[in-house]
Amino acid sequence: MAKDKPDVARLVDEAAKAIGLPIAPEYRPNVILNVERALAIAQPLLEVELGDELTPAPVYRP
Amino acid sequence: MSDPLSKAATASEIAHAVTTRKVKAAAVVDAALKRIEAAEPTVNAFTDILAERARKRAAEIDASKHPGPLAGVPFAVKNLFDIAGLPTRAGSKINNDGPKAARDGALIRRLEAAGAILVGGLNMGEYAYDFTGENAHYGPSRNPHDPSRMTGGSSGGSGAAVAAGEVPLALGSDTNGSIRVPSSLCGLFGLKPTYGRLSRAGSFPFVDALDHLGPIARSTEDLALSFDAMQGPDPDDPACTHMPPDPTLPHLAEGIEGLRIAVAGDYFAKGGEPEACEAVATVATALDASHTVVLPQAAAARAAAYVITAIEGAQLHLPRLKTRPQDFDPDTRERFMAGALLPGSWYVKAQRFRRHYRANVLKLFNEVDVVLAPATPCTAPKLGQVMMKLGGVELPVRASLGLFTQPISFIGLPVVVVPLQRRRGLPIGVQLIARPYNEKAALRVAAFLEKQGVVSAPPA
Repeated sequence: MAKDKPDVARLVDEAAKAIGLPIAPEYRPNVILNVERALAIAQPLLEVELGDELTPAPVYRP
Repeated sequence: MSDPLSKAATASEIAHAVTTRKVKAAAVVDAALKRIEAAEPTVNAFTDILAERARKRAAEIDASKHPGPLAGVPFAVKNLFDIAGLPTRAGSKINNDGPKAARDGALIRRLEAAGAILVGGLNMGEYAYDFTGENAHYGPSRNPHDPSRMTGGSSGGSGAAVAAGEVPLALGSDTNGSIRVPSSLCGLFGLKPTYGRLSRAGSFPFVDALDHLGPIARSTEDLALSFDAMQGPDPDDPACTHMPPDPTLPHLAEGIEGLRIAVAGDYFAKGGEPEACEAVATVATALDASHTVVLPQAAAARAAAYVITAIEGAQLHLPRLKTRPQDFDPDTRERFMAGALLPGSWYVKAQRFRRHYRANVLKLFNEVDVVLAPATPCTAPKLGQVMMKLGGVELPVRASLGLFTQPISFIGLPVVVVPLQRRRGLPIGVQLIARPYNEKAALRVAAFLEKQGVVSAPPA
């Protein structure tokens, strides 16, 4: 539904402020475009349901 | 057998000629340096040429009684490998201002201990966040089969240098397909080993969870020869295996008897251009592989690899993105910036899904030893091309060249890419995918296909 579509431009502006990443005006449109692309590409992962028993498999060895 | 001083000579042919004193390593190095000088204006594969160092090393090899299995073989490395005395560029301008490496990366040391001779550092996409081989700072590496086209990336210089016959062997890195994509587009043999099987010590990272290093060459034998020389544990890379080396070269002549080979269906049978499907069909026919297997949730695997890459890569570069954004390649800068803004929950979910997907895919290997899949969805696009049509859908070139490689490296499976030279048109590769630590099976299949004349990699 269109009304559920996130406001990616606002997300970029606010998230960048939150992590202290200055984004120059000339870079901003492409950053927005790339976050939009990421939203589309990540979709098949976001739709997967995972059981609680599935923990990550990190390489870290103490 | 090729003349060991010609561009067609393979690493094993050179090593044989040097070991049997038919030719001096010094002459081999001189011939390689001449070819590099002649080809560079066209292919732009090298960023650093190490003539003095290579000649000194060649003299040592010529004076040695036991120069090793790679005696006198000139090779070059993607410039994310540390090379003593040089800054480790990793395709960037920023790192080029940084400190010089104190010593060579682990795999360079291992290849040189086996008699090989490093002749230079190779061009690459900035910080390896690339499938094209283009680079705003150093210019694009150009495909020797058609210099108006991409080599593929990010190990673009590695593909160009080997395809042009400048060197018979190059090292690259592969996080999502960066060895396999240029191997396919430049018509070469490439090996992305099992995650953790080869040490990454002394190389500039991109995405620690997914980074692999490996060779690109013009024969299966050269992949096996170099892979065997580079195997073995290394405490300097926390992800590196504890398993001892398990040589693959002695098994190449065993053929494919006893190997169960299947074609990857579903995700891997869709979304590619006809030439990608035809290449897989040609290889399947030669191997008499009629069985199809489905890697479940491959689309989600590709999505998860993308998410892990975007977030880990961005986090690594965040300090530089804050202080020197103007010094990034415009084609990586805004993707890195976007990655820094993605939700952390995506990253953790992608890592949890990785374990789930791995378990399901490994089950397939109870029934099959090698799975065939396209390496790239198309042959080499034009340099500068931004969008392309795949299956009738308009998609960005940069993100889409790795559609078929990402779901495989995501769980660290070993893959050999074999090249098909097409009578009319550019070459294209096929992935031979095996279970973890079974590089041997994929290399045996590659050697069989090469012997049958189905795959080959003559220099352009």
